[in-house]
Amino acid sequence: MGIPRLPAFAALMGRICLLALVALTPHTYATQTPLDARALLQAAMDHWRGQTSQATMSMIIKRPDWRRTMTMQSWTRGEKLSLVRVLEPKKDAGNGTLLNDQQMWTYSPKINRIIKIPSSMMNQSWMGSDFSNKDISKSTDILDQYEHQLTAVEERDGHKVYVITAIPHEEAAVVWGKEVLLIRDDYVMLEEQFWDQDGELVKTMTTLEIRELDGRPVATRMRMQKRDYPDEWTEMLIRDIDFDVELGNNLFTLSNLRNPRQR
Amino acid sequence: MKQLQTLSTLAWRNLWRNYRRTLIMTSAIALGVWAMIFMTAMLRGMMADMITQGVNNLPGHIQLHHPEYRADPSIVNRFAPPGDELLEQLNQADIKSWSARVRVPAVIASERASRGVNLIGVDPAEPLPLDGNLLKDGRSLETESDRGLIMGAKLAERLETRLGKRVVLMSQDPDNNVVDRGFRVVGIFESELSATEENQVYAGRATLQKMLRMDQKISELVILTEEQRLLQPTVERLAQSAPHLEVLPWYELDRFLGTSVETFDGFSMVFIVVIFLALSFGLVNTLVMAIFERTREIGLMQALGMTPASICVQILLEAMMLLLIGLLVGNALVLLSLHSIKDGLDISGVAEGMALMGAGSVLKPALHTLDVIRANGVVLVLGIVACALPAWQASRLDPITTMNHT
Repeated sequence: MGIPRLPAFAALMGRICLLALVALTPHTYATQTPLDARALLQAAMDHWRGQTSQATMSMIIKRPDWRRTMTMQSWTRGEKLSLVRVLEPKKDAGNGTLLNDQQMWTYSPKINRIIKIPSSMMNQSWMGSDFSNKDISKSTDILDQYEHQLTAVEERDGHKVYVITAIPHEEAAVVWGKEVLLIRDDYVMLEEQFWDQDGELVKTMTTLEIRELDGRPVATRMRMQKRDYPDEWTEMLIRDIDFDVELGNNLFTLSNLRNPRQR
Repeated sequence: MKQLQTLSTLAWRNLWRNYRRTLIMTSAIALGVWAMIFMTAMLRGMMADMITQGVNNLPGHIQLHHPEYRADPSIVNRFAPPGDELLEQLNQADIKSWSARVRVPAVIASERASRGVNLIGVDPAEPLPLDGNLLKDGRSLETESDRGLIMGAKLAERLETRLGKRVVLMSQDPDNNVVDRGFRVVGIFESELSATEENQVYAGRATLQKMLRMDQKISELVILTEEQRLLQPTVERLAQSAPHLEVLPWYELDRFLGTSVETFDGFSMVFIVVIFLALSFGLVNTLVMAIFERTREIGLMQALGMTPASICVQILLEAMMLLLIGLLVGNALVLLSLHSIKDGLDISGVAEGMALMGAGSVLKPALHTLDVIRANGVVLVLGIVACALPAWQASRLDPITTMNHT
């Protein structure tokens, strides 16, 4: 089982990217109202480019009769490069995933091999978690592949919340009928809903906890849940995150994936 | 000549001395011949059906591939569309039509499921755009750059998607990069084989070439020929003009089908011989009985001056007449029974099993002249050979002993 489940580390990364990009957007944008939906996302993306982050996080997979927690460390640069390495549990420690744009590699110390993830494995979920490989290498998809519309502005806990409906282009590689994103005025994403083409909600990623980390509001607990399976979900917890850190140039390379030098 | 006429008259009369026995023997021969020809015709019909289906599924009588493609049917093993030299060969009279296709493994995903499929890029103007599958719902592809997708009914069910919805196809480009694209399901096809319904999807060839970044290149060249079985000369000719490609006829592409057809060929001969063996015992027994009854008579005829050779010929003539009457009735029966089911025999009761073998649910007999000649020839020639022994024994009888025999 060691190999096929690895890619989902990166799946995780995709979500982190989105979360981080929203978190990274400077507060100046928040005062520019009213915002058009695409500009809102675009501004966040533009700012994300060239930025770096380093985070420690946990992932909890909950199923009706079991539950599993993993701890991992991740580094990102811009929207295309990211690296994830598992710290715990012990039997998975050292497993790593490197993402460069749409390309994805995994490394497992047990077999001492780097494997490039082929397209056929892109739809697989990781250890039965609620993320698929595809979710990830797609960090900019929400911008390029959708039409955006600001459908509502709500008030919640003294914050403005923008509700953005994103409808994929006809030939976009997206299966959803639409996605609905709830973004707070300080650019914390509160919710991302995935709707099928018949207008039924399939799954939702919800932010359960927001904390101030490294001087920014960050969604520190997010849960992905399929609507049809109420007692199954995957949660991501950001333990610690640092933005704008110095990262070595060799961090996002295959050789570093195999032989970790960390920085 | 006169003598032969006399012998014939004698043989004919002898035949009807015990008409009951003759009638029983005649009907046995007729039934045997009927079984031989009728069953062979049925087998041939089934075989033709299997070949047609096999060729539709492959598809094509002959396929051209990159030499590595069959071992690894990936996008890496692609080739350029036919050049002038090959085109000239493809326009020869023995080739009915041909089509160039893209065929790569891909993953198809809907909101709720994903599966591995064979992604096939076709030009709807070329033959067999759906490999002989039937469009059940929606429309077919209109041009080679049609942006729609056609999938099997079973796959749609598995993916919990349907006509008019969007799905995502994922595959790899020649540099191993992931490529993907959304497609709208514009048509649903159904197939007699559920495996086909579940793992084939069809899209426009140009659309796929663009998506997979393979320029004008293709994965396979599918050729339909006029001739079904004797393809060797065509294959050799094509191989000569396309030395960098692998050229294979259907019986090598689908070895199981090829071997089945060959086995059936041999089997029909075995069948004929087995029936004949059963028949020959009855025939020889009848003749031995006839001679035994007429032992005294044969002795008398010899005493009156008939030569042993004439005796032998007379008995052989008798056997031949018996055989000929049987064959005549048998062939008439065959024509009659085949005529009554000329629109095909509905075997839908066992259709599921037949589908596994690659045959359809309606069995159409196929009567080949050669099979008829073969069955008749076997019965006539081997029948006379079998009767030679009793006839020869009869001619060896000693007139004095036999006449004293009571």
